[in-house]
Amino acid sequence: MSNNTVIQTQHLCRHFGKGDTLVNALNDANLTIERGEFTAIIGPSGSGKSTLLQLMGGLDTPSSGKAFLDNKNISQMSGSELSDFRRDHIGFIFQAYNLIPVLSAKENIEYIMLLQGLSQAERHQRVKTIMHAVGLEGLGERRPAELSGGQQQRVAVARAMVSQPSIILADEPTANLDSKTGYDLLDMMKALNEKENMTFVFSTHDPKIMERAKRIIRLVDGCIVDDERKG
Amino acid sequence: MMSDKQITKESTSWVINTLTIRLAKRSIFRNTRRTLLTILLISCSLAAILFTDSFVRGMVNSMIKISTQTFLGEAQIHQQGFRAANDIDLYIQDTKKLYQQLNNTNKIKAYAPRIITGAMTSSSENVSSAIVYGVDATSEAKVSKLKQAMLKGNYLSGKAGEILLGDQLADLLEVSLGDRLVVTLSQAHGGDLSQALFRVSGLFSFNERTMDTSMAFINLEQGQELLNIKGVHQIALRLQSLEQANDKSLAIWKTLNNDHLETLSWQELIPQLSSMLSMTKYSTLIVSIIMYILVALGLINTMFMSIYERQTEFGILLAIGTRPKQLFIQILTEGFLIGSLSAIAGLVLAFIFCYWGSIVGIDYTDLEMSGMTLNEPIYLILDATSFIGMALATLFITVVACIYPAMDAARLQPSFAMRKTL
Repeated sequence: MSNNTVIQTQHLCRHFGKGDTLVNALNDANLTIERGEFTAIIGPSGSGKSTLLQLMGGLDTPSSGKAFLDNKNISQMSGSELSDFRRDHIGFIFQAYNLIPVLSAKENIEYIMLLQGLSQAERHQRVKTIMHAVGLEGLGERRPAELSGGQQQRVAVARAMVSQPSIILADEPTANLDSKTGYDLLDMMKALNEKENMTFVFSTHDPKIMERAKRIIRLVDGCIVDDERKG
Repeated sequence: MMSDKQITKESTSWVINTLTIRLAKRSIFRNTRRTLLTILLISCSLAAILFTDSFVRGMVNSMIKISTQTFLGEAQIHQQGFRAANDIDLYIQDTKKLYQQLNNTNKIKAYAPRIITGAMTSSSENVSSAIVYGVDATSEAKVSKLKQAMLKGNYLSGKAGEILLGDQLADLLEVSLGDRLVVTLSQAHGGDLSQALFRVSGLFSFNERTMDTSMAFINLEQGQELLNIKGVHQIALRLQSLEQANDKSLAIWKTLNNDHLETLSWQELIPQLSSMLSMTKYSTLIVSIIMYILVALGLINTMFMSIYERQTEFGILLAIGTRPKQLFIQILTEGFLIGSLSAIAGLVLAFIFCYWGSIVGIDYTDLEMSGMTLNEPIYLILDATSFIGMALATLFITVVACIYPAMDAARLQPSFAMRKTL
């Protein structure tokens, strides 16, 4: 595994149920994601995109196989170790924004840094910078319910990026957004990818993401059937 | 990446604790109606427990007061063996020395010497057995409520031939004020019959059926003459405080208990009341336990509902780096906050109702309990220790009730919790 490798999966499998109801959500997924990639995982509904993303992010435990993130086997970590690892190494962007409703936009962005124990000055500086970068200036004190879908997703992006993780895993981040907002958000993430060399992995159906992705991994029935790199 | 950067770390645990409290505080008021209903449930339960406790304290106090102040006294002195044999020959002989000793004991507020004998009372219309007490009018008035219990006629003045009858005994004998009554009894030292004619000088009612149907009072000297004794059978004591009756370390219990004298507190004189009062305390405990179980179950249900509704949110918190332990503590903190608010509300509610009950009283007049008629309202007694103790117990139960839901939330797998999204 090279030092540039952010994620590597080895024979990763995930089954749900047993006997007649056994569902093979993911079969023998072998994959390597390098630093700075802008990758899209595509495939029809039920093909295992989200399952793969969950396993790569340590949100689920594989039935068999291993997942390495920053050269650490996350498949064998305990709950607390995984929490700490996710906090320090992974940023998540969810389809339904998934902000903490009782916290303001600013507090949502600041949350992970509080868990990391960053100083107040450092936190405030980072929040200010990222809010400017994602175009949320002046909206910091609003609760998620007081923001539009696009604004909420910007907060989610800011939250995912502010702790400067190794990788950002995004599950259909544009699915609930209108076209213009989706484009804007993607352009912003693409710019961050190019400028900061931040690694992005998307699970998506969205052609806009596919257009911008440097690499497209196609899943069908839980199996990786195609892995295409552009340029 | 964070590890590549030089960052200054504050006291992480303090920051996380502050964050946990902030999240817990905001979370409990997210669904204000549900939180208020939960607080109402717990606070009403606490108020009900405290009201019951105060009521039981008031009732116990009333019953002790009725028992001791009506006639019994807080303690009684008898000749050794009198109570067991009920033998009129067993009387306290050296009364002068004993009175002197009682007068010199500052713990004793007042005392009333009595002779006691069973007798036959005969009117022109009827005959009935009765317990005749010979009492010193002045000292009896300081110890018992005989004087206050007078319904008709006059209290004893010390003159020979006066007799006071319970109103129900008078009804039985079909006598009224001024009517003649013959008392026949057997004398001490041999059992010779002795008779005397009395005129009904007064009727009393202690509001207690047994006493009002069987007791008659005559003057002490005439009683001693009739019984042919120089001493008394009983000396009822009124102590400076009721608590002294329970304090067996006091010198009076040693000096007034010897080969000749037997001195017993009200608990020993009426053990059935003591047992009943102990049982009452247990019943309060049982009521409290039942209430607490109901509160705990209600709270567990509420917390589970809240957790179920917030599963996705807990999934997010876990996904972005919150440790399961932090989530566990957050839910316990929510329980602690709900418990604290409930305890405060419960204390306020309980204080209002109990204070009202302590001033106005709850009217149970004429209700008979364990052979005792409650002849005055029950005034609730507020006990600060009990209020604080029960409030802390409520807080503790609330937090304990949250452990199970908190464990459930902490065990959530983020992917399962957020199944609908990621």
